[in-house]
Amino acid sequence: MIKISGLTFDYPGHRALNNVSLTVEPGSVTALVGPNGAGKTTLMRCIAGLETPLSGSINVGGMDVIEHPREVHRIMGYLSDFFGLYQELTVAQCLEYAAASQGLAEAAIPAAIRMTAQQLDLSDRLQQTSGSLSRGLRQRVAIGQAIIHKPRVLLLDEPASGLDPEARNHLAVLFRQLQADGMTLLVSSHILAELDEYSTHLLSVRDGRVLENRALQATHLPGASRSLRITLAAPDSRLADWLAQQPGIEIHDSGEDQALIGIEGDLLAQSGLLAELVKAGFAVASFAEYKENLQQSYLRSVATHLENMQ
Amino acid sequence: MMNPEFKRNLWLSFSTHKLIAMPALLTLGALALAMSDKFSDRTADNLYTAAVSAFIFIVWLWGARNANLSIVDELRDKTWDQQRMSALNPWAMTWGKLFGSTSFNWYGGAICLAIAIPAGIIAGDKAWMLDLPAFVATGIMLHATLIALNLHTGQMEMQLIQRGGLGWIVIIFTLISFNIFTDVFIIEHDITWWGIQAPGKLVLLYSTVLFGICAVFSAWRVVSNALQVRTIPWAWPLFALILTAYFSGFSASASEYPVFVISRIGLVITAVMTYGTLFSEPARLPDWNMLRLRQQRNDWRGWLQNLPLWPTTLLLAFCFALLGSLPADNPQTGLGLIYEPFLALPVGFAFMLLRDAGIVLFFSFSPKSKRPGSVALLYLIVLDALLPFFFKVAGLDAVSYFLLPLGNKYGAAVGVMAMATQAIIALGLVAWRLQQSKLAEAA
Repeated sequence: MIKISGLTFDYPGHRALNNVSLTVEPGSVTALVGPNGAGKTTLMRCIAGLETPLSGSINVGGMDVIEHPREVHRIMGYLSDFFGLYQELTVAQCLEYAAASQGLAEAAIPAAIRMTAQQLDLSDRLQQTSGSLSRGLRQRVAIGQAIIHKPRVLLLDEPASGLDPEARNHLAVLFRQLQADGMTLLVSSHILAELDEYSTHLLSVRDGRVLENRALQATHLPGASRSLRITLAAPDSRLADWLAQQPGIEIHDSGEDQALIGIEGDLLAQSGLLAELVKAGFAVASFAEYKENLQQSYLRSVATHLENMQ
Repeated sequence: MMNPEFKRNLWLSFSTHKLIAMPALLTLGALALAMSDKFSDRTADNLYTAAVSAFIFIVWLWGARNANLSIVDELRDKTWDQQRMSALNPWAMTWGKLFGSTSFNWYGGAICLAIAIPAGIIAGDKAWMLDLPAFVATGIMLHATLIALNLHTGQMEMQLIQRGGLGWIVIIFTLISFNIFTDVFIIEHDITWWGIQAPGKLVLLYSTVLFGICAVFSAWRVVSNALQVRTIPWAWPLFALILTAYFSGFSASASEYPVFVISRIGLVITAVMTYGTLFSEPARLPDWNMLRLRQQRNDWRGWLQNLPLWPTTLLLAFCFALLGSLPADNPQTGLGLIYEPFLALPVGFAFMLLRDAGIVLFFSFSPKSKRPGSVALLYLIVLDALLPFFFKVAGLDAVSYFLLPLGNKYGAAVGVMAMATQAIIALGLVAWRLQQSKLAEAA
């Protein structure tokens, strides 16, 4: 859905994006993560056609963003990190303006407002002025403005910043729903745990470069079909050696009381390994599938990047 | 479907209370004036004057404030990105903002006109037929100028500008200019423009309509660029030519040396426009790199789309300077550029523009300079005023002349060469800065 090649963007005295190339799969929810100043916002603004890069190409839904930004806007919604609302307009007016200015036919606008308000749980707030709403509700209105024309691609820059846990959860539900409707989402956030709830892909950037861009569905460690964490009730110095002798096993991390392994095969193979462990006299306290969360995944990609730099 | 931008502005501008209050207040005011004046034989005249004054206040001043804020508020409240991504075409966005943000003022203005027109008819003076359209055109011109100006200067570093301060300067400037124009044109005698004789008021009306159209056009162009409809910079130099033709029309046709007059007027106009855009457009190193890249790729359309406006009027300034040096059409016929200081002055002045552009770029391309425009301005003041003055009072006339060779002391050729040398040094500094940036990039 989004294809970027050799994207470079400069600010005075600073290269914000350096030869960035990436692909965002259609129907995915991609978590765009990275430290402050990594280039996340610049990348989003370039994709949205709000900034013109020095070089490179950006293709969204088969259209060249640099050459035809206005055509791309028709299929795109964007929520900037410092979004604004027309404070004196009611929620209904904000949504109506967004719908009309995105080219929706007049007859379709009332239904679009109703549906968007329903999706965002704003139906009972339609007559309230946006300036009188709480931060969370304002955020919802802003998202409503970005999605009212049913874009195929939705870019959200820090959509959950300043939201309470309940509002964040609501947002996660919404994003999953939008994904289910076929929308492609690119979401940047500092709160990785929250992104973990709905992201299908990870796009990690640092110093204007892409560190990692991969699917999160296969959250097992690379090179193995299943990842397991074994924890022993008491330390046993034989553990690492014993595991090393087992066929179809790759050890990623091991100590005297725990190990992280990759195992080839299905649940039967997993159950067989557990039986063998017990039989060998290990006091197995836990034997569970291990899924790397977004935070760990991100930190690992940063660590790899730093290692490569050295 | 109603223009969404216009409709949004109507929502913001009107309420039932405001809808009733405006006509009620204006009608009451008019009635009070008429009744207090009932024994005077100049009631209609006074009513006309009062209605016109109210129009000027409501449409020009108040309306200008609203037009000013229509962009300043969008930028400040971070709603501008949403507008930039909308499907509205630039013209719909332009007129939606232009007439939407000032709709309440035009509502009040229309009521004022509804009072002024019958009052003018009763007063028996037909001047209203020319005056009122001129007032309307001036209002549109003012509002459109402010929209264009605020969008154009939206990226400038000064807080005063970001808060719409520049708009107020324009409002004050327009009021003063209109006063001067009115003083000139209101005199009952005819005015000659390019050999055409017309009543002063008619010329004033045509002038305001012309500049009103130019202002709306410029607002549309600036909005187009903001909405990613890229344009190539032909309108800005064309506007310089229109201004030159307009102002030359009052004096060149009466002059024995029309080309000489046109070139001098053109040079002044292009210089003002060059300086104006030089300091108001972002001239950052990435923008320059973009131009370089377009050039390397032979993407000349893209190159023109990324070209700032100031080089276009700078080029025109050189054209006017050279035009003014034509020996055949000069007060001192037969003398060429090199021999006649009087003729060489414009060429030296054009080189001065080039030098100043180089100085601005030198500071703009610095990776450390936080306020390049202000720093460059400071250096220009030092270079053009303080240092020449200092060397002059110190008795070093030659040094003073080298810095500001616009006089006639050492001859025309020396003056032109001195300024050309300065321009070359300034451009050399820019080249050095670019080289440094390339080295830093490579490192």
